[in-house]
Amino acid sequence: MPASVPLRRTQTLTWLENGVAMLSFRVPDQSHNVLTAEVLSDLAATLQDLLAGPVLQGLVLVSAREGSFFAGADISQLEQLPDQPAAEIERLCAAGRSLFGQLSSQPWPTIAIIDGGCLGGGLELAISCDFRIATTREQTMLGFPEVKLGLLPGWGGTVRLARLIGLGPAVELAVSGETVDGQTAVRMGLVDACVVPERAIESAQRLIAIEGATRGFLKRRQQQAAAIDLDPHERDFLFATSAAVIMGRTGGHYPAPMMILETILAGASQTAEAAGPGEGEAFAKLASGPIAAQLLRVFRLGERNRRDIGIDSRNAQTPIPRAPGQAESQGYSARAVMPLTRSVIAPAVIGAGIMGAGITASHLRAGFSVMLIDLDPITLAKSVGGILDEAAWSRATKQTDSARALTLAGKLQTSTQLAAIAGSDLVIESVLERRDIKRQVLAAIEQVVRPETVIATNTSTNPITRLAEALVDPSRFCGIHFFNPVRRMTLVEVVCGPDTSDATIAIAVAHAKRLGKCPIVVRDSPGFLVNRLLMPYLHESVEMLRGGIEAKRIDRVARAFGMPMGPIELYDMIGLDTAFYAGAVLSEAYGDRIEASPVIPALVRSGRLGRKSGTGFYQYSPSGGQRARIERPDEGVAELIAPYALPVRPMTDEAISNRLFLPIVLEAVRVLEEGIVRDGRDIDLAVIHGLGFPAFRGGVLAWADSLGVAEIVKRLEPLADLGARMHPTEGLQAMARTAAKFTQL
Amino acid sequence: MHHTSARSPIQTPVVVACCRTAIGRSHPERGLFRQVRGDELAAAVVKEVVNRSGVDPDTIEDLVLGATQQRGELGGNVARAVVLLAGLPFSVAGTTVNRLCGSSLQAFSQACHAIAAGAENVHVVGGVEHMHHLPMDSAIAIHPQAFARSSRGILSMGMTAEHLAAVNGISRRTQETYAVESHRKAALAFDHGLFEDEIVSVLGHDEGGAIVEVLEDQSVRNDTSLAAMAVLEPVFLPKLGTITAATAAPLSDGAAAIVVMSLAEAQRQGLEPLVRVVGTAVVGVPPAMMGTGPVAAVRKLLTRTGIAIGDIDCIELNEAFAAQALYCIDELRLDPARVNTRGGSLAIGHPLGASGARILTTLIHAMRDGELSLGLATMCIGFGQGIAVLVERIKA
Repeated sequence: MPASVPLRRTQTLTWLENGVAMLSFRVPDQSHNVLTAEVLSDLAATLQDLLAGPVLQGLVLVSAREGSFFAGADISQLEQLPDQPAAEIERLCAAGRSLFGQLSSQPWPTIAIIDGGCLGGGLELAISCDFRIATTREQTMLGFPEVKLGLLPGWGGTVRLARLIGLGPAVELAVSGETVDGQTAVRMGLVDACVVPERAIESAQRLIAIEGATRGFLKRRQQQAAAIDLDPHERDFLFATSAAVIMGRTGGHYPAPMMILETILAGASQTAEAAGPGEGEAFAKLASGPIAAQLLRVFRLGERNRRDIGIDSRNAQTPIPRAPGQAESQGYSARAVMPLTRSVIAPAVIGAGIMGAGITASHLRAGFSVMLIDLDPITLAKSVGGILDEAAWSRATKQTDSARALTLAGKLQTSTQLAAIAGSDLVIESVLERRDIKRQVLAAIEQVVRPETVIATNTSTNPITRLAEALVDPSRFCGIHFFNPVRRMTLVEVVCGPDTSDATIAIAVAHAKRLGKCPIVVRDSPGFLVNRLLMPYLHESVEMLRGGIEAKRIDRVARAFGMPMGPIELYDMIGLDTAFYAGAVLSEAYGDRIEASPVIPALVRSGRLGRKSGTGFYQYSPSGGQRARIERPDEGVAELIAPYALPVRPMTDEAISNRLFLPIVLEAVRVLEEGIVRDGRDIDLAVIHGLGFPAFRGGVLAWADSLGVAEIVKRLEPLADLGARMHPTEGLQAMARTAAKFTQL
Repeated sequence: MHHTSARSPIQTPVVVACCRTAIGRSHPERGLFRQVRGDELAAAVVKEVVNRSGVDPDTIEDLVLGATQQRGELGGNVARAVVLLAGLPFSVAGTTVNRLCGSSLQAFSQACHAIAAGAENVHVVGGVEHMHHLPMDSAIAIHPQAFARSSRGILSMGMTAEHLAAVNGISRRTQETYAVESHRKAALAFDHGLFEDEIVSVLGHDEGGAIVEVLEDQSVRNDTSLAAMAVLEPVFLPKLGTITAATAAPLSDGAAAIVVMSLAEAQRQGLEPLVRVVGTAVVGVPPAMMGTGPVAAVRKLLTRTGIAIGDIDCIELNEAFAAQALYCIDELRLDPARVNTRGGSLAIGHPLGASGARILTTLIHAMRDGELSLGLATMCIGFGQGIAVLVERIKA
């Protein structure tokens, strides 16, 4: 048995045979290994010790956590960077580079065993070793996700990566932030071998023996230290094409991808030693900028959402209803640690329309067996093909995996009889958006299912409170509002009515997460959260059209702000008939701010329903379906708008931007004041995932804070004559006076 | 194979016949050859070229076909299948070669090399591509480390052409003017019946699905204009790009074939040779500079043969992209009046593996009709290569 020495708090040293030492990392107080300051200082000390000790044949770095190497840097340390001067950040980078650099200046070869996630700083550590062995384990994923946080690898990663796998592939990996598995990594040259986990140590020892004997590791070190010899044409082409792709994807709003490209190219023409400081400088520039701070915060919002069980902990002990005679051991218990999260086993979806089909497919994708009910056998039969196609869609091959579709077909049960859901523990009703029909169906569902079954409705316009009236037991009822298209939209609103129990909410939230969604709990209110915030924005865009501003200009300003598409394009995408009904619900509720615009029904009457009809505010090319290209603004629209023209207001782009986005802030403030959400952070997460609000602005409240509430109020002043929709609430005015903030970064 | 060398007739490669199919668009609903297999197109031209040449089929030693997508209907060494399909004797061997866009010019070149070496005597060569049935970007798994000295962007020929246009300031308008001219020349050539001799009748299907005798290249338009081209969106680089569907060669289906043999054998069989092969060259360039391949290849060929560019009467320069063709014309100082006199691939189409034999066939017919002496065929090749072939007309 080799001797193991728990060397330091984060590290253990084991002596393998033939003079090979193995350093195992286990970072305490963390769920994954992350590169805390302690890990780094421990590593530095250990390398010192080893140098002072007997000559080694090689050093193996490995994680003592199964399925995880290093998940990256310590996020809480990254969060402190914006407050530090650039010089200090650069010093931290230099220290990291120098420490990692020691791994390839030892008198013996060093090798990392990557058996699990190896991300960001973890991969920088790994590629600082002379060699790497990855494993075939499913969790073994390698990548540089820094770009997603608005950063770049700052411990020598950009410099080492380019020398290891080539400039083009390095740019691709670091700019995309995507991960690769062990097999892909070995093909790229990112690792030297990929083996089954149980043979990894043995393989590392063999590689050390071979490289030690041939002194091959010294050749590798030379290659890693030298400048990269790249044909100037290839270099120019790489820059031009990558820059074009980056600008296309980021619209110039995210500085990190371009900085990564520039840093890698600049570093390539120098020695690794000389290239290091440039990387540190670039890292400091990004880390001290506002966008990385926002993206870090958004990352934290996502983490918080994953942990959030949907109800406040003070209520977490509420017992959940249990079937008469059901033993506590049969699934859930009021005394369990997390008493309110019971796993759904037998979900059912009612209604095989577009939404019902999408919801069903997402269940299949997540591994559920699901019962789909539609009273119309033809609709039901028609939906199955599309559901299986979507559920078995392979993102890698961009086509349906037919073998998988066949397996999933066995998990999809369909029936035209509601009685088939008798055994279901969660029923998601997704029939027509008509209140009378929904109420009928919900009442019928309640007749069929067991008393503890959670009943949910997928609706975007029907108040949960009204629908709940149809049920004998409204405590087991909530809304689960999926967005269209279900496969792509991760946001889900879990809507609670006045009688919805905590247990119901917790089950709905947990279930949405198992579908891979990001659920936000909201109190019932017209439009719930996302549509309520969307509608003032859409409404304002049409008001501006009536005021003589061109559609294209409005959309351009919205895109320039960072939206994936402008409000007028979005209208056409949603469908003007759909927008009309949704708008009617909201104007009924918030008529003082959002009057039902006469323009939308005028367009609907003229047959302009948006993309689906080939024309709406814009005209679309005849081919391409939902992806059809905008050809030009529809000429007939001006005529339709003319009777409703408003006085022309000369507007700068900035004024247009204010008119579009400030009403969202105002509505968000009202949502907060009315207690529609449990936490303001939910609003930011919801607008990013549900509205495409730019993540680099951190969400609508974070954006408001970046301007300052006083500035918001000031910008609203010249718009006050437009009516109540531009008037700050009293709460907002109070915040402006005290310079209060919505968020804490 | 040098111009000046006094090569013995047994080691002098000559072309005795060449022909091609009309080129169809690769379109699932409208392509004339959408229901015709690629190997059928190849068999049609091979059979016809053997007939036309009058060569004794028993003397044919090998069929060398170029094809870039060697799978499915063009898989499993399609050349041997074409020998069987075309009814050639079992004694005719068959091999399929791949130099991407230069495949059938490569097939021709290597047959000539074998003859010049005195190793072989009679070959049928050609090329085939069916870009509808076998799309060029599927079922390819290039090793990621092959991009270590370049970048994955080089897989997009369109991006390399965009880069070439950007670096050399070749405007969209200039490219479109060139493309309009390519269509005009091709349409004019059809009007004057100049393609009648080289195009082999093949049955295809019209848009309605009825059979139709295909005698004209499907992509050639006599109604195109700068105004019509101006509204097209860039295809490779949205918004910023200069290359549209009009200034990139269309995806195409087609085949072409050539009978090449030693001068001595042609004389023995009493066949009339059309051209003598003077020389060939292939070359590699940086993959990102794919479109410049002809410049390097032609320079090498000129040095090798001792011939000056001004001495060449007729040039077929494959038009993968207008930008790339313009660059080569400028860089090699070619006389535009001598280049692609019957239109180029922008109009005619670019069935990758067939295009080399196609442009050589068009070149030889143009030399015959115009009684021109020296002719050059050259192409750019994906991943950064160029190929060039120089022929001299043998006066009847």
